[in-house]
Amino acid sequence: MRSKLSIVFLKELREHLRDRRSLAMVALFVLMYPVMLGWALNHLIERATKPEREGMELAVIGGAQAPTLMAQLKQKNVTVKHLEPMDEKAITELLRARKAVALLRLEEKYADNYNDMRPAGIELWYDSASDDGPRQRDIEDVLNAYSSSIAGARLLAHGVSPANMQPVKVQRYDTGSNAARSATVIGAMLGFLFLPAFLCCLSAAVDSTAGERERRSLEVLMAQPVNPLMLVGGKWMAAGALSIIGITLELALAHGVLGWLPLEEIGMSWRVTSWSLALVCIASVPLSLFAAAAQIALAMNSKSFKEAQSVLSIFTLVPMLPGLAVSMLELETADWMYTVPMLANQTLLRELAKGQEMGMLPFALTFLSSLLPALAIVAFASWRMKSERYVLAV
Amino acid sequence: MIEVDDVRKKFGAVQALGGVSFTARDGQITALLGPNGAGKTTLLRLLVGLLKRDTGSITIDGADPEKDPMAVRTNIGFLTDQFGLYERMSTREYLVYFGELNGMTARAANERVDEVSHLLVMDDILERRSKGFSQGQRIKVALARTLLHRPRNLLLDEPSRGLDVMSTRALRSALTALRQDGCCVIMATHVMQEVTHLCDDVIVIAKGHTVAQGSPQQLCQRTGIPNLEDAFVSLVGTEEGIAA
Repeated sequence: MRSKLSIVFLKELREHLRDRRSLAMVALFVLMYPVMLGWALNHLIERATKPEREGMELAVIGGAQAPTLMAQLKQKNVTVKHLEPMDEKAITELLRARKAVALLRLEEKYADNYNDMRPAGIELWYDSASDDGPRQRDIEDVLNAYSSSIAGARLLAHGVSPANMQPVKVQRYDTGSNAARSATVIGAMLGFLFLPAFLCCLSAAVDSTAGERERRSLEVLMAQPVNPLMLVGGKWMAAGALSIIGITLELALAHGVLGWLPLEEIGMSWRVTSWSLALVCIASVPLSLFAAAAQIALAMNSKSFKEAQSVLSIFTLVPMLPGLAVSMLELETADWMYTVPMLANQTLLRELAKGQEMGMLPFALTFLSSLLPALAIVAFASWRMKSERYVLAV
Repeated sequence: MIEVDDVRKKFGAVQALGGVSFTARDGQITALLGPNGAGKTTLLRLLVGLLKRDTGSITIDGADPEKDPMAVRTNIGFLTDQFGLYERMSTREYLVYFGELNGMTARAANERVDEVSHLLVMDDILERRSKGFSQGQRIKVALARTLLHRPRNLLLDEPSRGLDVMSTRALRSALTALRQDGCCVIMATHVMQEVTHLCDDVIVIAKGHTVAQGSPQQLCQRTGIPNLEDAFVSLVGTEEGIAA
C-alpha cells in the first residue's frame, strides 16, 4: 500500500497537470527569460559586429571643399555620403532615422578661410540620444587628428616644431577585462533566471490551499485519517515539483542560448559547462521546494484565492532583495552569500559564468540554505493546520 | 456506538455547547434535530477530533477522538455541510483518492466504488469530472465518499438536501441497509418526515444543550403533541424544554 504522503502528492500533481492556468504559467516562465536574454544579447551582438564589415556611414554637406579631409576619412574606413545642403529639421530627421552615424556640414566659405589660414568652420551634427556614442567619438578623433596635422605642417613651415603644440601627451588604458564586463552584464540577467522557482509553483500552491479552502473541500480533507504533515507535505511536494521542472528546463534553455550566441563578439563569455549547469540545477532543487513551502504556508492562511494571490505576488519580490542589495552595495563575493536562498543560487551561477574554479562547498551550502528553511516551514504549516483556530476558520 | 457525556465547548465568550449528553447505538439511525446555530456542526467536529472539548467525555467504539483521532476517523464516514469535490477529477478518481486516504488499496477502492455507485444509482456520473454537477449529483458523490471505506459509524449532516425523489429513496434504502449491517448512523436533518420514517432514535439539541432523547413516538408522548414537528418546536422553544 502506498504511503499517505505519496497518495496526496500524486493526487495534487495530477490535478495541477490538468490545470491549464498552472501549466501555462510554467510554460511562460520556462520560455520567457531565455528568449528575452537571447533576444537582448543577439541584438547587442548584431549591432556590435555590423560596422566592422560595412564601415561607418558619415553624411557630409559641402565635402568637395575639403578633398584631403575626405581622403583621410576614407582611409579610416569611414564611408562618406555626399548630400545636398539641407536645413536643420532635415538633418535631425536624417540622424533620427539612423541613415548616418553623424553629419558634417562645411561652411560655404570653408575653402577661402582654409586658404587664408583662418579657422575653417565644420559643423558636427549628431544625435546623442542614439547609442552610437563611441562611433561619434571616432569621427571627432579623425577631425582632431586632421586638424592638428594641418596645424603641425603650418608651424613647420614657420620653422616651429609641431611638438610645441603637444605639451601633454595622453594615452588611454582600459583595465576592464572582457570577463569582468560579461560578469556584470550576465550577473544582472542571472538575477532573474531563478525567479521562475517562485513563479511556476505559485498557481499550484494557491490552488491547493486557499483555493481548496474557498471551494470548501478542506474540512472534508482534514477530517480524514491523515496526519496534517502528510497533507501539507503532499501539497508542498506537488507544487514544488512544478517549480523544479520549470526552473530546470529554463536553466537548460538559457544555457543553450548563451552557449550558442557568439558572445565573444561583444567581449563577453559564458564559461559554464553542461556538467556544472547540471550541478547548479541539482543545487537549485531545494530553492523550488523553499518557494513552494513558503507560498503554501502563506496561502494556507488566506481566506480566498484572490487574497492569497495578492499576498504572494508581494512575497515573490522578497527573495530578489538580497541580490539587489549585494549588487547595489557592490559587495565582493563571500561565502556567507551561499547561505541566503536565491542569493546563493545567483552567486553560484555568476561565479561559474566568470569561469571561477569552485569546490563542492558552495554547491552544498546553496543546497542546504533552501532545504533547511523549507523543511522548517512545512513543519510550521502542518502544526498550524492542526490548530483549532485554523479548523474554525476553514 | 457513540457515547457523549456532558460535553462543553466555549469559543471565547460564546458557549457553543453547554452540556451535551447522548448515546447513539449500533444498528440504529439516530436523528440529530436542532435549530440553526444549536451547535450541531461543533458537535460533529468534536466527534471526528477536529476540535477539542473543554470538559466531558466522548467515546466512539471505545476510542476517544481527542486522543486517537486517526483510529476514530478510520471508522467514521463524515458528510459535512460542504461537499468537498474536486472539479478536475472524475468521480471515480475522487472516490479512490479518499478510499486510499482511509487505508484501502487502489484496487479494493475501485471495486468498492462500483458497489457504492450501484447503491446510490450514480453510474452515469462515475467517469465524469465534477465540474457542472447538479446539487443532487454532488451530494451523491459526497455520500459515496462517506460510505466507501465501510465505516462502522456515520455522521451525516443533512444528507438528503437537494436530492430528487428517486435519489432520496436510494439514500433511504442505503441507510436501511447500513442499519441492518449494524452501523451506527447519526443524521442531522430538518426534514421531519425523514425522521418519522427512518430514525429509531432522536436527539434534540438547542442552544448547545441536549433537550431530549428518545424515539419519535416517545417525544410525541412526552410533549403530548401527536405531530413530531410541533413536538420539536415545543421542545426547543420553551424554557422548560431547555432546562430538561
